[in-house]
Amino acid sequence: MANPEKNFFAKFGEKCKDLWGKFIGLFKKSEAKAQAAAEGEACTEQCGMIGTELTKREKFSRFLKAEQGWLFVLPAIILLCIFTFYPIINAFIRAFQQNYNALTGNYNGWGFENFIRVLKGDTGTGGAKFVQCLVNTVIFTFISVPLSTLLALLISVALNSIKALQRAYQTILFLPYLTNSLAMGAVFATFFTIVGTKNHTDTIGIVNMIFFPNNPIDWMQGGTGYTWNLGAVKIPWTKYVVVIVYEIWSGLPFKILILFSSLQSVNKQYYDAAKIDGASKSTTLWKITTPLIMPMISYLIITGIMGGMKQYTAIVGLFGEQMGRDYDMGTMVGYIYSYVSNGQMGYAFAGSLLLFAIIMVITVINLRVSKKRVTF
Amino acid sequence: MKITIQDLTKKFPSRNKKGKEVVAVDNMNIEIPSGKLVGLLGPSGCGKSTSLFMLSGLEAPTSGKIFFDNQDVTTLAAERRGVGLVFQNYALYPHMTVEQNIMFPLTNMRLPKQEAKQRALEAAQLVQIEDLLARKPSELSGGQQQRVAIARALVKMPNVLLLDEPLSNLDARLRLQTREEIKRIQRETGITTVFVTHDQEEAMSICDIMVVMKLGVVQQIGDPQGIYDDPINMFVANFLGTPPINIFKGEIKCGKVYIGNEAIMDKNVPDQKIYVGIRPEGFIYNPNGVLTLNLDHVEVMGRDKTIVSVHAASEKPFIRSIIDSDVAIDKDATTLSFNVKPNKVFLFNAETEERIR
Ligand SMILES: Nc1ncnc2c1ncn2[C@@H]1O[C@H](COP(=O)(O)OP(=O)(O)O)[C@@H](O)[C@H]1O
Ligand SMILES: [Mg+2]
Repeated sequence: MANPEKNFFAKFGEKCKDLWGKFIGLFKKSEAKAQAAAEGEACTEQCGMIGTELTKREKFSRFLKAEQGWLFVLPAIILLCIFTFYPIINAFIRAFQQNYNALTGNYNGWGFENFIRVLKGDTGTGGAKFVQCLVNTVIFTFISVPLSTLLALLISVALNSIKALQRAYQTILFLPYLTNSLAMGAVFATFFTIVGTKNHTDTIGIVNMIFFPNNPIDWMQGGTGYTWNLGAVKIPWTKYVVVIVYEIWSGLPFKILILFSSLQSVNKQYYDAAKIDGASKSTTLWKITTPLIMPMISYLIITGIMGGMKQYTAIVGLFGEQMGRDYDMGTMVGYIYSYVSNGQMGYAFAGSLLLFAIIMVITVINLRVSKKRVTF
Repeated sequence: MKITIQDLTKKFPSRNKKGKEVVAVDNMNIEIPSGKLVGLLGPSGCGKSTSLFMLSGLEAPTSGKIFFDNQDVTTLAAERRGVGLVFQNYALYPHMTVEQNIMFPLTNMRLPKQEAKQRALEAAQLVQIEDLLARKPSELSGGQQQRVAIARALVKMPNVLLLDEPLSNLDARLRLQTREEIKRIQRETGITTVFVTHDQEEAMSICDIMVVMKLGVVQQIGDPQGIYDDPINMFVANFLGTPPINIFKGEIKCGKVYIGNEAIMDKNVPDQKIYVGIRPEGFIYNPNGVLTLNLDHVEVMGRDKTIVSVHAASEKPFIRSIIDSDVAIDKDATTLSFNVKPNKVFLFNAETEERIR
């Protein structure tokens, strides 16, 4: 069996060679021609060379026409090569170099030491711990993504069923998408915060004001009373609540946008058929509507999980650059950045490869699971 | 279940404020006896689907009433009317298997799963798709999808079965076969059935009662043969029959019907301009006949032959007359003469296009 990807790369390679050859040829020929012209200056016009052979300009424009598809994507390919492909390849190589120094480019030997030390948390920074960050990231992601997708679905269905002001609501719901996540994080922090002592009710945030006016909780600080210990991993659950609420909320606009438009593209006849078949509103939602837009839901969940696994800025917005107390709110990306800022690039490379592998495994599982549910 | 439709009207508001509203169904009155197969026939856009959707409860009438037996169902919700509906493009749920599709109405009725499965199987057997239960709709041909749609409509044992152009997506051969099937299923189940089609042949071949519509207005109700033999106006006469009826401009003068300057028959009504409709089978070849046509060509069909000719007064480019294949025709003749069968000739007022009796 032919491997389509291999085929693609082989073709791509051939095409590149071919193009390069033509391109070089263009200059070679024109050089040759220029030389010839210089040698026999007087005769060029009488010889009728111009009549039979194409001028440089014509050739170039023909080349452009024939290969214009490639030329159109060329800028993108160049940019991708510089800013995406090269760094990825570079990270793969450097992750296996021990004690790589970003300034001098020196390293001593190859091996897995970076990975081992990152996994052990034995990196001498005393800062972020790999397991803590991994647990944080996974819990944030796997609670907030399903909840925010579900909420987005319900909101979209509600939005789809109203007639008046539909556009206005749609716009309002989309606005948070345009807001900077650091700023949003800072605002959220004030919602949950307490300033001063617990008994100063005028200095508590809006969440305490509404839900715990008499006995406010210091959500943003957590502390021993509000932390569960799972071995070496700490779960400061009040801070978790803040992050999860934030992530659910900030994930909504995009999800609503996508789900609402896919709801609008569902053939109305299915709803008529469901009515005739005596389906209740909730049966219609769960047995008809949801499966019909399952491809979009599954897309949102998969990309949502990928995004969640890369969460960073929101945590900084909420808890500052130290990501909580002792990185107890750290995420995988935050963990990697902590090495970057320490100049320990080898660990950062190893950490990002580990994150890449984790996201890849999760995504493959996701695709496997969703494949069954999204194809009709 | 007897269906009574009283003064049923449906108007759709226009999109912009200035435009006129669309009267999709205009003051419809029909009485459908229990257990009959009724065909709603008319050209596209004449309000057939709208009528059907009002019967099903998916579309609310602007005015008028609908009764099932003696119960007024005009404002009853679709799911409580006990109707089965087969949509024009079937509307099978693409994510469910055939079996799940058929069982869906039953699970909504909270039937125990085992019983639902059993009844789904019976419905599938009725339409002969019991081998396809595990498939998804995308894995079925048009004809199979159509059967699934019928099974889904029948499985809850509806009082009324409604079919919206159920054959329009099928190829010609399958269409013939399936319409017989619909007739069979209707007879076996005895469910009062309303069947929408724009194809007169389809309607004529299987309906007990036919309702011919034009621009939202019911033109004529009756059994197919009755309507064919006695159309109420030129639209109905023109709409039924293949090949269609031949129409000539004509005149009544002194109690005689003239086409051009030939008097073809007597008619004792006041002088007036008319249209003369002659069914293709209404011609009798006779060298001394009353109507002379200019021969174009002859199509031999085996059982009979069609003489295609032209005439200055004809409303259509060609006149088709069907005669017995035994009758010898001189193919090189330029003109042929015919007598006409009086019961195959219909006269219509030239202005109102109403029948002159
Ligand atoms: N939802 C609607 N809004 C506005 N006009 C409609 C709507 N549905 C149907 N109509 C109009 O009503 C008329 C009858 O339509 P329909 O019942 O679908 O015709 P048919 O089924 O006989 O082809 C058409 O002129 C159509 O344009
Ligand atoms: Mg229709």
